[in-house]
Amino acid sequence: MSVFITCSGHFLPGPPITNDQMEPLLGLVHGKPSRLKRRILQSNGIKTRHYAIDANHNTTISNAGMAAKAAEHCLSESFLGKRQIKMLSAATSQGDVVLPGFGSMLQAELGLSDIELHSSHGICSSSMMALKAAYTNLLAGEQTNALVVASELTSRLFKASRYEAAGSELDFNAEFLRWMLSDGAGALLLENQPRGKCFRVDWIRSFSHADAYPVCMSVGYPGNSSDSRSWQDYATYAEAEAAGALLIRQDVRLLENIVKLGVDGYLRLISEGRVQPAQVDHVLCHYSSHYFRGKIFDMMQRAGVGIAEDKWYSNLYSRGNTGCASIFIMLDEFRRSQPHQVGDTILCMVPESGRFNNAYMQLTVVEA
Amino acid sequence: MTEQVLSPQGQQCLQALMRVWFEFERQLGRVPLLQRLDRGQFSKADYCQLLINWRQQVIEGSRWISRCASSFDRDYSDVRSVIIGHAREEHRDYEMLEQDYVAAGGALTDIQKAARNIGTEALHGFLMYRASQSNPVDLVGAMWIIEGLGQKMASDWAAQIDKSTGGDGSFTRFMRYHGANDDDHLQKLYQLLDRLCQNPSQLAAIVRTARVTARLYCLQLEEVDNEY
Repeated sequence: MSVFITCSGHFLPGPPITNDQMEPLLGLVHGKPSRLKRRILQSNGIKTRHYAIDANHNTTISNAGMAAKAAEHCLSESFLGKRQIKMLSAATSQGDVVLPGFGSMLQAELGLSDIELHSSHGICSSSMMALKAAYTNLLAGEQTNALVVASELTSRLFKASRYEAAGSELDFNAEFLRWMLSDGAGALLLENQPRGKCFRVDWIRSFSHADAYPVCMSVGYPGNSSDSRSWQDYATYAEAEAAGALLIRQDVRLLENIVKLGVDGYLRLISEGRVQPAQVDHVLCHYSSHYFRGKIFDMMQRAGVGIAEDKWYSNLYSRGNTGCASIFIMLDEFRRSQPHQVGDTILCMVPESGRFNNAYMQLTVVEA
Repeated sequence: MTEQVLSPQGQQCLQALMRVWFEFERQLGRVPLLQRLDRGQFSKADYCQLLINWRQQVIEGSRWISRCASSFDRDYSDVRSVIIGHAREEHRDYEMLEQDYVAAGGALTDIQKAARNIGTEALHGFLMYRASQSNPVDLVGAMWIIEGLGQKMASDWAAQIDKSTGGDGSFTRFMRYHGANDDDHLQKLYQLLDRLCQNPSQLAAIVRTARVTARLYCLQLEEVDNEY
């Protein structure tokens, strides 16, 4: 039995926002322009991205709404109608509501009936976990198809008012992601049979290292590292917000670990015989910034298992870093715009810095 | 970046050693003392305790590397030259470590009379034993781990220690100094790998020694918190 990605879709809200348009839209914190913006943007290399909020900080479309649009885009070009969908596997780092699960909200938004449901929670790798849940469901013969959707609406965390509510000081770790992340959704349709030219899933594997590393990216802890309270431990949410416990943070000092852990998993897969570097025709790697692409590339090269630069594809620079949605949005655009032949091998990599979970997938282009 | 290890065997060995290193870093991430350092809950007393425990390993380190050099026969005289150079460069490093200890507020006699901890005993015993074998090519695996650790100290630990103890770099000189010649050392190590890893059994021996060294190094660091 094999599982195939027979269709894909994406949704990016609103017009592309250039680097110069970002700060006017997200707002000046305490009325002052950011001093870090230029440096961070230069390092990540992103030129345009999309936001589901407007300059007045109204939300233009919900997270579940974006996910539904991406799913509909995917289904509109597939052989299946909504009524035939058997399973929905959804991923996001933060839904519109705390509860219920994102999958439930998306199911309602999409109007899918009687499906088997899975919600996966995490950061960038949560889409791969959602994909693996659906993939194994099909492999086990439990279902014949599954819609896998990943969506992110992080811009709501980046409004100037959020930082202002957390006090006067804006530390680097709390501001960093403001210039990195943006909104969007991607969807894949999995079936137990190929349709036209599509992708066979050869395997999906992930390696998580949370036991060996501290938290690197988080929402829920205050800025002061000696305070181990979570946002829910404060008397009121207002106090949690004032303490900065609702800001999204990246511990930049720990971030470099992502490079070696990404390469570590790659080397493991090579020694297991799952990856043969010489056979890989396309690499789709969700790196959060151009800076890391170079580092990963160099380390693979140094280990003698590099993959030629012209085989790497990414749309990070034009679509932005949309967290868990990135890899699906990338695969969708690859499928639509990049030449690929039957028999080609595609290696997808998602190294997540949240607490260091690295996911990998190999696809082969097939034709029914 | 150019590929520094050229032979296919050497390259395979490098891949395996990278994985051993990554695993070692994860092991380090589970050591309570280093977890405290990471959280910034690390005092000057912790640092002094670390140096007390480290000193013996640095002293013994210069001994096994010298013995390692002398165990290579004339077929490996080129390797011997490289290792002798390395031993000569580092064999009095412990003096700098002692000065750091004093600068951090410790008494010289305290660090000088401290005994080896259990992990250091095991590590030293293992390395001296391996270094006493003829042509101990596998020890390039131990050098890989120890060189990597030197870089980690310089690029990572020294700054964290200064940050959490309010230091200005004046008592983390030993750790910082190890980062100074990084590229040069790494390049030499790559050349050694290429020279010493020429068949699968040498590869397996190098990787095994790297693994044992990593594990015992961790044990040594775990033991810093234990007082007997």
